[in-house]
Amino acid sequence: MIWRGLAGIGLAVVGLAVLPWVREALDLPVFLLAFGTLVLTWTALATSWNILSGYSGYFSFGQGGFYGVGLYTTAVLTGRHEWNFLATVPLAGLVAAVLGLLVGIVAFRLRTLSGEVFALLTLAVPFIVAPIARLNPSIDGGQGITVPVPEIPEPLNGFQDLSFLLSLAIAAIAVVVAYVAQRTRLGWGLFAIRDAEGVAEGLGVPTFRSKMVAIAITAGIAGMAGSVGAIQVGYVTVEGTFNLQVPLFVIVMSVLGGRLHWLGPAVGALFIVTLRDRLATSGFEGSSLIVLGAILVVFVVLAPEGLVPRMRRRLVPVLVTVAGVVALLVVTGLRQDPVDWLALGLLAGAVVAFLPGIRRRASGEVEPVGPPVAEGEPAEGEPAEGEPTEGEPTADEPAAAPGVLPAEATEATDATASQRGPTREPIVVATDLTKQFGGVRALHGVSLTVAEGELIGLVGPNGSGKTTLVNLLSGLLRPSSGSISVGGVDIVGLPPHRIAHAAVARTYQIPRPFASMTVRDNVAIAIMFGRSPTDLESARAAAEEHLALVGLAHLADALPGEINLHERQLLEMARALATRPRVLLLDEALAGLNPVEVDNAVGVVRRIHASGVAIVLVEHLLRVVNQLATRIVVLDHGRILAEGDPASVMSDPEVIRAYLGRRAAGRSEPAYEQRGLADA
Amino acid sequence: MIFVQAALTGVLVGGLYALMAIGMSLAWGMLRVINLAHFGLILFSAYLTYALTTDVGLDPLLTVVVTVPVTFLIGAAIQWGYQRFAVSELSSLLVSFGLLIMGIQLISNVWKADFRRLAADVNPYATGSLTIGPLVFPMPTLIASVAAVTLVVLIHLVLARTYVGRALRAFAEDPPIAAAFGIDHRRLGVLLGGAAGATAAVAGTLFAIGWSLTPSTAFEWFGVVFAVVILGGIGNVLGTLLAGALVGGIAGVMTIAWSSVAAPVVVYSLVVLALLFRPNGLLPRRGGHGGHR
Repeated sequence: MIWRGLAGIGLAVVGLAVLPWVREALDLPVFLLAFGTLVLTWTALATSWNILSGYSGYFSFGQGGFYGVGLYTTAVLTGRHEWNFLATVPLAGLVAAVLGLLVGIVAFRLRTLSGEVFALLTLAVPFIVAPIARLNPSIDGGQGITVPVPEIPEPLNGFQDLSFLLSLAIAAIAVVVAYVAQRTRLGWGLFAIRDAEGVAEGLGVPTFRSKMVAIAITAGIAGMAGSVGAIQVGYVTVEGTFNLQVPLFVIVMSVLGGRLHWLGPAVGALFIVTLRDRLATSGFEGSSLIVLGAILVVFVVLAPEGLVPRMRRRLVPVLVTVAGVVALLVVTGLRQDPVDWLALGLLAGAVVAFLPGIRRRASGEVEPVGPPVAEGEPAEGEPAEGEPTEGEPTADEPAAAPGVLPAEATEATDATASQRGPTREPIVVATDLTKQFGGVRALHGVSLTVAEGELIGLVGPNGSGKTTLVNLLSGLLRPSSGSISVGGVDIVGLPPHRIAHAAVARTYQIPRPFASMTVRDNVAIAIMFGRSPTDLESARAAAEEHLALVGLAHLADALPGEINLHERQLLEMARALATRPRVLLLDEALAGLNPVEVDNAVGVVRRIHASGVAIVLVEHLLRVVNQLATRIVVLDHGRILAEGDPASVMSDPEVIRAYLGRRAAGRSEPAYEQRGLADA
Repeated sequence: MIFVQAALTGVLVGGLYALMAIGMSLAWGMLRVINLAHFGLILFSAYLTYALTTDVGLDPLLTVVVTVPVTFLIGAAIQWGYQRFAVSELSSLLVSFGLLIMGIQLISNVWKADFRRLAADVNPYATGSLTIGPLVFPMPTLIASVAAVTLVVLIHLVLARTYVGRALRAFAEDPPIAAAFGIDHRRLGVLLGGAAGATAAVAGTLFAIGWSLTPSTAFEWFGVVFAVVILGGIGNVLGTLLAGALVGGIAGVMTIAWSSVAAPVVVYSLVVLALLFRPNGLLPRRGGHGGHR
């Protein structure tokens, strides 16, 4: 699959590479090569920009800085130190990549970094690099540098040929990297970062490293493009190099072409360069930036997905139109200039891609969301499950559970065994955890052990520290003091993706799916970045099993926006399971569900537990906790108020007081029953 | 002494930076919009002041009578557009970048790319200065900083004391809840967008009185203004004023001590440090002033 695509790109590159000789044979003007060089240079710059900014959503205004650093590397080395030009090209890429990594180290370490602040920080790159170049006489010193014309290697016929082929090579590198990334873990990690970065990290995506790799690629390719730019410009100055033209152009090109597709920026570059060229030759040079600005505004607001996805939806009509218009112009001889043919052909193609009538039909093909799940009968008709779930108990009759696990019985009889039983291997051991937020102490001295096979119900009034505890266990927050070990390994201070690999997974109170990916791919991401990394295809296949376990197999192709809250919560569970955890932290996974959905979710939690995963269930519905838990831990004001088997904990007067106030504590019924009445 | 002079002049110029930043900071903090077009509005009103003074013969300070309503309308219209099309925070950055580019190109098509400066005979404020002991302060800088401080304090009072101000802060804190309590956020948003535009007009007019103009001046403001916005705390009025003075003072000293082109390096290093250690701005945060995410 990926090889076919690469072969196609390779073929296109070879086709373009012979252009200098074809041009000579056909005696076409040199101008065409210069035009092609321009398109390819901008293809390289825009495509490389898109790998960071389009894929991961971190918009960068720094592309001009990276380009400029590459340009100056070559200018200084060839113009002042008589280096061989070709040797400076990779070096320029390296210098720019190092600068990119420096920017990344600073920016991506900031805890409060948002996409917007990142954009503004990268805006600083040219503002900081330019004065350094201008003040330092060994770089520029304010006079500019003349770049010598490089030697032209043998089979080439002139400077323009060399410039064209080098730009082609760099553009090819950029496009290949963008293409491969879109089909491998690098790109999918970046997509996950764009959709929900914290979640991605928690599922095992090494977010920091992914962003660093992306910014190094972006900067490195821009630096090489700058290197070739140096010989094209001939005379470089600080003012002419470090301005906002490069970032503006790459942003407009990528937005126009489409930021989520590897080919988008290249198509955008072709459009914009052609457009600018035509505007300039017809005397509208002064309005070219106005047109560019207008394109940016209109596309961001009205068509944020860009041209390429729309063109792909009706590929044949678009291609036929472009070819038809070009052929018509060539045959009739209405226009002489080949760039005119291209400009009008592209314009016609874009119009076809945007025609409203056809589009409606095309977008109607989006697979309809499946019928609402049969929520009334949980897990009905899911033959894929390997677990013995038949005879699923309804939640109203907990005692009728046919003992999927011994610990499942809810009455006090044998639940105590799991609490005291030393035979079970502890997986997570948290000791004396304290977490302080400014002056507020969310947790003091909480110790908790999660052993194999347990299903711990973590309850407590609002603000008692339940979610904080989950956040500490999943590594989202660091404890102020105390230790947490998973499987005997200390995890405090490890990034969440490493903790995910250490077999602790979590769900979020408010489901946070990756909005641009299908349900199946949401789960596949977690598999791809799990302990044993896999490629996209096998991850997609493996995702089915987890979807079946939670009963979402029939919605695998839907987008998260098309499924309901309950289904999204189930998706959260499937995604967490896909990391193959030994401990699963469910943070209010049942919040906001109607009674029927709650019953279904209870069934799913049982099945997950039965498959051998220990669970920590944070939940307000005591009825549910009481049915499921083998042990209950009650938090109040950041301390453990009580723990033990459900029945004894729930009749503990302290617990009743914390939950229902002083008066209720005087009565004798267990708290959960009163709570159950209140819930109904 | 030369450093004291540079620092104090810088602090005064910093008042103007704060005025340039305030509209952007408020829109970002309260409306969740990063409006780069704000720079275009400042530039436009500076050129408008230039044109009205040079061609019509108005007193340069009086031109605010024209520039303020004009940019109020443009600012309100842009904000209306953001709301109409539900433009997200990141998208607003892109959209307004497009608007800014269009605006700058239009301005340079009308007024050309050359340097423009108010001629001395139409600008009674150009040559005056205030001497205190060994220190000399040029009149344009003084006027700019006094006007800026007055305006910024006024904005602070409006936000803190009036119904509109409270409604805006409530909205910034929690839009759905504020809406549920009967705050018409659309109208408020358009009003605030217009008000931000009006501050741009004053900033532009003051700039035209003291400094020369080219269309690309707008890009030169980027660095300092963003530094002021972030250092001051997004949406924090008094913090913006303080940050303006700080950034202005540092840039002034850097210019004397090293070179004017080195100032951005220091200013941006400050921004990074601020993001590392004081992500909510220099001043301690009190509820309601946005900047929270």
